Amino acid sequence: MVLSLFFVAAAAPAQQGHPLTGTWIGDWGPNATQRTHLTFVLTWDGDKVSGTINPGPDAIALGNVAVNVTNWTIRFEADTKDKSGSPVHISAEGRVENLGSAHRTIAGSWRQGTTTGDFKITRD
Amino acid sequence: MTRTAHIVALSLGTLIALATLHAQGPASSTYDREKKVKLEGPVTSLDWVNPHAFLFMDVRETTGTVTNWAVEIGNPLDLEKEGWKGSTLHPGDVVSVEAMPARGQKKQAAALSVTLKATGRRVFAPAAKKAAAPVAAPAPRWPNGHVKLGTAPGKKGYWGTTSAVLMVEDSSAKISMNDEGLLASLADVDRVAPFKPWAKAVYQFRQRSLLIDDPIRACVPPGGPRQFQTPHGFQFIEQPELGRILVLLGGGDRNWRVIYTDGRPQGQAAEVVATYFGNSIGKWEGDTLIVDSIGFNERFWFSNGGLPHTEALHLVERFTRTDMNTLKYEVTVDDPRTYTRPWKASWTIQWVPDEEIPEYFCEENAESTFIR
Repeated sequence: MVLSLFFVAAAAPAQQGHPLTGTWIGDWGPNATQRTHLTFVLTWDGDKVSGTINPGPDAIALGNVAVNVTNWTIRFEADTKDKSGSPVHISAEGRVENLGSAHRTIAGSWRQGTTTGDFKITRD
Repeated sequence: MTRTAHIVALSLGTLIALATLHAQGPASSTYDREKKVKLEGPVTSLDWVNPHAFLFMDVRETTGTVTNWAVEIGNPLDLEKEGWKGSTLHPGDVVSVEAMPARGQKKQAAALSVTLKATGRRVFAPAAKKAAAPVAAPAPRWPNGHVKLGTAPGKKGYWGTTSAVLMVEDSSAKISMNDEGLLASLADVDRVAPFKPWAKAVYQFRQRSLLIDDPIRACVPPGGPRQFQTPHGFQFIEQPELGRILVLLGGGDRNWRVIYTDGRPQGQAAEVVATYFGNSIGKWEGDTLIVDSIGFNERFWFSNGGLPHTEALHLVERFTRTDMNTLKYEVTVDDPRTYTRPWKASWTIQWVPDEEIPEYFCEENAESTFIR
């Protein structure tokens, strides 16, 4: 049963609409061992891309999202709080790879407060 | 010479259209239509399955090495119409093949002709399009005077050949494309449809990658206008007593679509479960059936050539049977998340008399997806 469900999920056709729409999963961190999980939910309303990082009680609304479709780079900003409750600003810039793939990716640089690193998320 | 083969790469000045080769998706992403190879050697096996039958043959390369080539010979339905059978060739028969080679280093090709060496008999050549015109007659009608979109009582037939296998805005001047929807020049992209910038970029990406990501290659249904441009045609089954018209599709995977004609209102897009064929409501205006559809998912391409869309896609289709043998199809595409304004496309479809839709099933060939 579990096996058959796996195959059904694996065979699901790719989303073919706006390339950023959907759920993306991955992580960010300052190095290969210190990673923080990321879930992005992105939507396209015809004018702009908007979305949420880590939907749930600690959800972070994306602020400005700028997409350059000539090279499929994306820049976004968001505001959250650290463990002490102090505001922390997030800014990141990445590029969509494998645009035609069901499991395309966005990878690039990530800055959260004073910490810099990289991130990579994959379309679920 | 029996196991000797020459492999000659030639440039073909013109593109060769083989409808059978893209019965299930574009062939250009697999084969280089501007090159040609000649192969000679014994048949080792035949793979007689949908959507593409293959013959396998041993070919001695110029280096002396013998390699096994996979030669695509088209769709079994079309081959059988031309008199081919799975038993036409046997392992050991030496054949001479002219073919388009696969892109890259794969030992795979699409046959343009296959000749049996022992007899010189050409056992395969691309099917010529049937030109016999059906007998002219007025459109059949129901007792209440409505035009029938399907067959007359006691008759057989279905809607087959389309006047266009591509979809571009009606107001555009002629745009040079091949029969899979690949533009001769990407500079013409703005004349295809009024794209928003992201949609134009996606369309260009699909064109540059030779449509290799076309979901129809994985047997995803041809939703939207594409259902009226796929090989193997379609049929209307009108059920006025049930307030609906069924559209049975010969292409894709023998899908069907329901058009409700019982007067129910169209739902709101947000209420409709997104599907490949959407939620369709039809009404008659004179001899024209007007169908309003919303509720499409984003998992398919709604045309050959890779036009994108979103779940906001709204189609208004107009079907007019102008005589027994002609169906005029007009569609207005309204997707404000993808296009800057609504736009229209149209084509005609010809009736295939005295035949039923052929039994075609989209399948993924075990042998056609290998890397050699």
